[in-house]
Amino acid sequence: MRKLTLSVVAVLLFMVQALAQRNITGRVTDDTGKPLAGISVGVKGTSAGTTTNADGVYSLSVPSGSRTLVFSGVDFESQELNLGAGSTLNVNMTSSEKALTEVVVTGYGREKKRQFTGAATVLGSKQIQDVPVVSFDQNFQGRIPGLLANSGSGQPGAAANVRIRGTQSITGAFVQPLYVLDGIPISAGDFATLNPNDFESITVLKDAGAAALYGARGGLGVIVITSKRGKAGQAQFSYRTQTGITERPSASQFEQMNSREMLDYEEFVGGFVPGLVAPGWIYSRKHPNYNALPPTSPASNPFAASRARYDFMRDSLANNNVDYYDLLFRRGVSQTHEINMNGGSQNSRYFVSLNYFQMDGTDRKSRIKRYTARFNLDNTVGKLNIQFNNSIGYSITDYNEGAFYAGSGTANPFAMAWRAKPYENPYNANGNLIFGPSTALVPRAMANLIERSNNSTWVDKQVKAVTGLTLAYRIFPSVTIKNTSGLDAALNFGQGFINANSYVGSLQSYQAGYLNESQVSRLQLINTSGIVYNKLINDRHDVELGGYFEVVRAWNRGFGFNMFNLDPRLFQTGQGAGTLATGGAANFAQNGNSAKSGFGIRSYFASGRYTLDNKYTLTANVRRDGTSRILNPDNKEITTWAAGITWDALKENFLRNVNWLSDLRVRATYGVVPNIGSIPGGSFGISSNFYSIPGYLNAQLPAFGTTAYAGSPLTGLAPGVANPNLRIETVAKANIGLDLGFARNRVRLSVEAYRNLTRDLFVSQRLVATSGFYGSSLNVNAGTMSNRGLEFDFAVDIIRSKDQDLTFRANHAININKIEDLGSVTEYPSGTGIIKEGLPFGTHYSYWYMGADPATGRPQYKRPDGSITTNINEGGQFHEFGTWLPKHVGGFSLDYRFKQLSISALFSYQLEVRRYNNVQNWVTQGDGLYTGAVTQSRMLLTEQWRKPGDVKSIQSPAFSRQFTSLDIADAKFLRFRNLNIAYNLNSFSIGKVRLMKSGRFYVQAQNIAIWSPWSGLDPEDDNNISLAEFPNPKAFVAGLDINF
Amino acid sequence: MKLRKLILASSVAVALATSSCQKVIEVPETDLIAGDVALSSVTFVEQAVIGIYAAVGTEMNILLNAVFADEVTRAEFYNATTTHEWQYGAADVGLRDSYTGIAPNYNIVNRANVVLAAIPKADSTRVGDNTKKLRLQGEALFLRAYAHFELFRYYCGNYDPNGLGMVYMEKSTIEPAARIRMGEYFTKINADLAAARPLVAQNLTDINRANLAAVIGLQARVALYMRNWAAAEAFATEFINLVPVASIANFPGIWTDVNNAEQAFRLIRTNTLGGRIGSLFRATSASAANIGLVTWRPADKLWTSYNRTADVRANTYFRDEPLLTSAGRGSRLIQKYAGTAYGTPNENVANAKVFRTAEMLLIRAEARAEQGRFTGATGADADVNLLRSNRITGFVPGTYTSAAQAITDIMLERYRELCYEGHRFFDLKRRSLPIQRTPADAPSAAGTTLEANNFRFVLPIPLPEMVANPLMQQNPGYQ
Repeated sequence: MRKLTLSVVAVLLFMVQALAQRNITGRVTDDTGKPLAGISVGVKGTSAGTTTNADGVYSLSVPSGSRTLVFSGVDFESQELNLGAGSTLNVNMTSSEKALTEVVVTGYGREKKRQFTGAATVLGSKQIQDVPVVSFDQNFQGRIPGLLANSGSGQPGAAANVRIRGTQSITGAFVQPLYVLDGIPISAGDFATLNPNDFESITVLKDAGAAALYGARGGLGVIVITSKRGKAGQAQFSYRTQTGITERPSASQFEQMNSREMLDYEEFVGGFVPGLVAPGWIYSRKHPNYNALPPTSPASNPFAASRARYDFMRDSLANNNVDYYDLLFRRGVSQTHEINMNGGSQNSRYFVSLNYFQMDGTDRKSRIKRYTARFNLDNTVGKLNIQFNNSIGYSITDYNEGAFYAGSGTANPFAMAWRAKPYENPYNANGNLIFGPSTALVPRAMANLIERSNNSTWVDKQVKAVTGLTLAYRIFPSVTIKNTSGLDAALNFGQGFINANSYVGSLQSYQAGYLNESQVSRLQLINTSGIVYNKLINDRHDVELGGYFEVVRAWNRGFGFNMFNLDPRLFQTGQGAGTLATGGAANFAQNGNSAKSGFGIRSYFASGRYTLDNKYTLTANVRRDGTSRILNPDNKEITTWAAGITWDALKENFLRNVNWLSDLRVRATYGVVPNIGSIPGGSFGISSNFYSIPGYLNAQLPAFGTTAYAGSPLTGLAPGVANPNLRIETVAKANIGLDLGFARNRVRLSVEAYRNLTRDLFVSQRLVATSGFYGSSLNVNAGTMSNRGLEFDFAVDIIRSKDQDLTFRANHAININKIEDLGSVTEYPSGTGIIKEGLPFGTHYSYWYMGADPATGRPQYKRPDGSITTNINEGGQFHEFGTWLPKHVGGFSLDYRFKQLSISALFSYQLEVRRYNNVQNWVTQGDGLYTGAVTQSRMLLTEQWRKPGDVKSIQSPAFSRQFTSLDIADAKFLRFRNLNIAYNLNSFSIGKVRLMKSGRFYVQAQNIAIWSPWSGLDPEDDNNISLAEFPNPKAFVAGLDINF
Repeated sequence: MKLRKLILASSVAVALATSSCQKVIEVPETDLIAGDVALSSVTFVEQAVIGIYAAVGTEMNILLNAVFADEVTRAEFYNATTTHEWQYGAADVGLRDSYTGIAPNYNIVNRANVVLAAIPKADSTRVGDNTKKLRLQGEALFLRAYAHFELFRYYCGNYDPNGLGMVYMEKSTIEPAARIRMGEYFTKINADLAAARPLVAQNLTDINRANLAAVIGLQARVALYMRNWAAAEAFATEFINLVPVASIANFPGIWTDVNNAEQAFRLIRTNTLGGRIGSLFRATSASAANIGLVTWRPADKLWTSYNRTADVRANTYFRDEPLLTSAGRGSRLIQKYAGTAYGTPNENVANAKVFRTAEMLLIRAEARAEQGRFTGATGADADVNLLRSNRITGFVPGTYTSAAQAITDIMLERYRELCYEGHRFFDLKRRSLPIQRTPADAPSAAGTTLEANNFRFVLPIPLPEMVANPLMQQNPGYQ
C-alpha cells in the first residue's frame, strides 16, 4: 500500500512539474483545529498571494519553480512550508509568543482577547521559567491583579496559598482555585513534581463567564496552564542549566538579649517571682539563699553549691554567646539541568523535555530533588486532530522533622533560633554535642535539637503523572466533535525515621527509635466530550456553539504504620525490629491503619458566542453539575448560567479617526458559579506522619462513636450528628472591565470592577436541642458573603526601539470582603478571629490590652463598656484589630532591554494586613514563665514596668499579660521579589560546525529584600498567625540556556 | 463510510457514558461507620441501645429536686444563689451549668430514635436475632417515653390536655420542631409505653436495663402526673405485685448496693463510669480523716421529720459525722449515696435507683385517697401503713379520717422516703404546693418561700435554644 502511494505521488509530481502553473488549495487552522480566517498565504520570492476565507480555506495559483509558501497572520508565527507534489497543503498555525497576550485560554479552547468578555490575566513562559522556586504558583505574587499568593513555608517544594478576589467561603477559606493543565484538572497545591519550564502560558480566570465553563469546581477561580508544543520544522534542541544558592534567614528583628543581658534580666524577674528557676536568678547574689551558702566548695566536691561556685557559673554562662543562626541554618545550593527538543512536520509535531532540579533549603536538612519528563505530541490525520500530552515526574522532599511539625516547640529550628537561651553552648570543649535531659539550669535544648535532627529523616517521595489525550474530528467544515480524556495521578511515599541508637531514639515509645511509613495514591480521571459548531456567516456574523458532557472521577487510597524498638544497626527500615512489650494490657492497640475514598462529578453544559462585525460579542453558557460530594439526592445537581458582552469601540466609525486612542474595549459578565470545594468534609487518619485520606461525606453522614454503660459488658454506640441536607455554595459574580490603549498601545490600562456574592454560604450554626445535640454546631447553608473590588493593570513602554526597550508595569487590587448574613446568628468566634455580620472574613478577635497599671504594674484590659480592668476575665474581646487578609495587593516591575541585555525587576506589596505575632508574644511576655523558658527581647529593658509610677506598655514581671491585641502586628510589606538579568547570545560556530543557534545567560534572584514593620523572619504567611514557620529564603541563581 | 462509522461510534460512546454515569454522582463513603452500615446487625443495634443507657441518669433530677425544694441547706461552699433562691431566667448560668434538661433528655430521645429506625433494617440471620430485635425495640420505646416524661417535668406546667407540652421527637432529625399540646404529648408517651410493655424483658433478671416492671413503674408515674388515679392505682398494684417492698433489715442494703431489694430498674455507677452521685452533696475525701468539701447538708426540716431512733431511714439516708464536728464543720451529712468509706476509691459511688416499690406504694396511696378511698383494706392508709411498718421499728398502724388528711400525710411520707431521688420539687409543683423552708434552712429571707404555682416551678427554655430554634416557645414568665 505504502509503495503504491509513493509511486502514485511520484507520478503526480512528474505531472505537476510538467505544468507551468498549478493550483494549491488548503485549510489553515489554529492548534486547536479552529479554522483561521484572514491568514496571508504568499509564494516565497513572488508577489503572488491570497488570504484564507471564513472557513480557513485558501486557493492559490503557484508559478512553476516556486517551492515555498509563506503563511502569516497577526498573532501567529509565520511559517514557510515547502511545496510537495500534491495540490493540497493544510497548515496549523501556532500562536506567537507575543500573541499570547492577545489570546485567552478559557474553558475549552483559546479565545481571541477581542472576543473575550470576562476578566483574565495571562502569564507567559518568560515569567515562569528559570525562577528558583519549585512550585510554580510561587511566581504569581505581584504579577496578577486580584490574586493573592502567599507562601506559608520556605521549605523547598512548598506551594503558595492562592486566593483570587478575596475569600469566597468560610468553610472553604483555604480551598485553592482549580488548576487545569492542558485540559486536565490537577490537584492544587501539589506542584512540586511539575516542571514550570514546560509551561507555555498560565491564564488566571477571575470572573464567572470564563470560569463557568469549569462549573462546580470553578467557584474560586480557575488557573489554566498550557504546556509547550512542538513547532513544525527542523528539530530544535535546548539545554538549560542553572546553579545557585538559597540564603539563610537574616538575623531576627526581635532584638534578643545576649547572654549577659539575659542573665541580668532573669535576676530582675527573680526579684518579682522568687520561685523563678533560671541561672541568672538561682546563681544571683540577690537570691535569698545566696548568703546562706558556704563561701567555697570543698575540694572533695568542687561542684557543690557555694558562693564561689555560683559566681563562677554565672560568669561562665555570661561569656557563652552562641550564634544559633549559624548553627541551625545554612546556605543551600541549587542546580538544574534540562534538555528539551521540539520539531516535527506540519502534520506531526512533538515537544520533549527532561529536567533535573535540586534545591537545598536554608534549614540544614531541607531539600528537594526532582526529575521530570514531558512528551507532547500533536498529530493531524486528515480531519482528525490529536493532542497527546504527558508529564511524569519523581520528587524527593527532605524535611527537618522539627521544622515539619513547626510550632514553637523545642524541635523546630525556626523556633529555637529565637527561643533558646543564648548562654547554652551545645558543644563541649572537645566539639561533641552535650545532649540529654534539659533543665533551666542545665539547658540542653539546642544540643538536643541538633542531635535530633542528625538522627532523624523525614522524607516525602512522589511520583506524579499527568496525561491527556484530545481527539478532535471535523465532521463538517463547521462542526467538530471533540473528546478529551486525562488523568492526574500521584503516588506518595512518606517515611519518618528516628535512629534507635541515638538520644532522641531513646525518648521514643519502647526507647529504641521510631519508624513511620505510609503511602497514598490519588487518581483523578476526566473525560469531556463535545460538539462545536463554528461559522463566520456573510463575513459579519461569527457564531460558535458548543455542547459538552463531562465526567470527573477521583479515588484516594492510603495506608500507614508505626514501628518501634528498631534495630540499632539498620537505618530507615523495619527489618530487625524487636517485639513490643504489652505492659500487661489486655488489649493491644493497632499500629497501622488504612482508608479509601473517592468522589465523582457529572456535568452537562452548553456554551455559545456570537460576534458581530468583530465589534460586539455576546457569550453565554448554561450547565448542570452533579456530584457525589452532596448526599441529599435533591441537592446533588445544580444548574447555573453565565453571560457576557464585549464591545470593541474602536471598530465604530465615529472613533475611527481618533488616533491617540489605540484600544478601547468594554467587557461585562454576570454569572453564577457553584463552589464544590467548600463543602465541609472530614478525613480519615491512616497512621501517617504525612498524609490523611479525605472523607467527602463525613459532614453529611452521622458517624457513630463509642460510649460505655456500666450496666452492660457491651461497648455502647452513640450516633454522631451531621447535616444531610447540604447544598453547594454558589458565587454570583459580576464583572465590568475596560481596556484602554493610547499612543499605539504604548500605554495600556485595564480596569476591572467586580462584585462576588456567595449564597448558601456555609455557616456554623447551633443545633436545636431536639436533635439530641444541644450546644453543638453544624455547618448549614444559611449565610451570604460579598467581595467587592477594583483591579488596575497598567503598562507603559517608555522606550520602544530596535536597540532598547523600557517597560514599566504596575498592578493594584483592592478587595473588600464582608460577611453579609449569617442566618439565625449574627456572629461567632472562630479560632483567634470572629465571624460577624458586617465585618470581613479574617477579622481578629482579642482582648484589648491597655498597658501596665502605673501603680501596680498589673496588665490592663478594656472592659466591654470601655472601662479598664486588670482582670482579663472581666475584659471584653474586641474586633477592632483588622484582618489577616490584605485589603490592598499589588506589584510593579521594570523591564529594560539594551540590544541583547535585558534586566527585569519585580516588586510586590500588600497593605492593610495585620497578623498575630506569636513569636513576639513569647519574647516580650516578660513574666516568670516565659523568662524561664524563652530568650526575651531587649525591648523589655526599656518598656517594662519596674516600679510604681512607671508608665509602660509591658506589665510587671509578676504578672502575665496573656494573648492580647498587643500581639496583633502590622504585616504590610514591600518585597523586592525578583531580579533577572539576562544576556542573549548569538549563534556560535567553529568553522562550519554550528555549535549553538542562540542562547541566553542570566542571573536571577528571588526575595532579594523586604521592607516591613513586622518583627520576625517573614511577614508573609498564608494564615492568621505567625508560629515560627520556615521563612521564605532568598535565592540567587546563574543560568545558561543554549539552543542548538 | 468512515465518517458514518465514527459518528455511530461516538454516539454509542456518548450514550453509554451518559447512562452509566449516574453512579459517578452516587459514590458512597465506604470507610465511615455511619448510615445503615453502622447498625446493620442486631449486635450493633444492641450496642446502640447500650449507648442510650449511657446517656440516662437521675443525677440532674436528684440535685434539682434537692436544691430547688426543701431537701437541703447550703453548707461549706455556696454559689447556687440563682437556683436555690429561685432567681433564674432563661439565660441563667446556674441553670445552664447544672440543669439543662433539654440536653440529656433529647440526646436519649435521639439515640432511641436512631435505634428504632435501624431495627427494621438490621439483618436477623442468627438464632435469637428476631427475639432480641423486639426486646431492643421495647427498650428504645421505653427510654424515649422516659426522656420525654422528664422533659415534661422540667419544662411544662401541671398536666392539662390543652396546656403546652414539649416537642415529641419520633425520628432523628436536626430540623427545628415545635412544642405540642400536652394531651397529644401524653398520648404519645403512653403509646410508646404500651408498645414497649410486651416487648421488653418480662422478668427481673437484668434490672440494669428496662423490663416489664420498669415500664409499669413509669406508666404508674405518668398516670400520677396525669391525675389519672384509677390507672395510677392499677399500674402501681401491678408493680407492687411484681416487686415486693423491702424489709427494715434489707433497707440499708439498697443504698450500699449489697442487695436489689424493691428495685425494678437501676443505673449502674462505678468510679470510672457514670459519675459519683454522692458528690452532688459532698466532694470526695482526700483521706479517711480529711472529709471532702460539703456543698449541701440535709435540711433541718427533713432531718427532724423522722423518728430518729426507730426509723431505719434516718440512719440510712443521713449521718451525724463526729469527725466533722471535731473539725468545727457542722456534722450532718447526706449518706444516701455515700458509697464506701472516706478516701476510698468507691467513695460517693452508688447506683441510681430509678423505680422502686416504695414510690409505687405511695403512688397507689395517693391514687386511692384521690378516689375517696382514704381508709380500709384497699384504702390509702393500708399502703402507707405497709410502707411505714417496713421502715419504722415498732410502728403502730394508723387510719385516715379524710382524703385531705391522707394526701398531706402521703406528701410527708414521700418527703421522707423519696428524698434525694428526684421527686420533691416536682411533687410540690404537681400538687400546687409552695416550697417552704424553715428559718434554719433558708439561705436568705427571699430564699424562704416559693409560693404555690409560681412560674419558676416550670423551668425556662434555655436562651440559646430560643435563638437556635425559631419554632420554640418560651414558658410563661421568662419571655
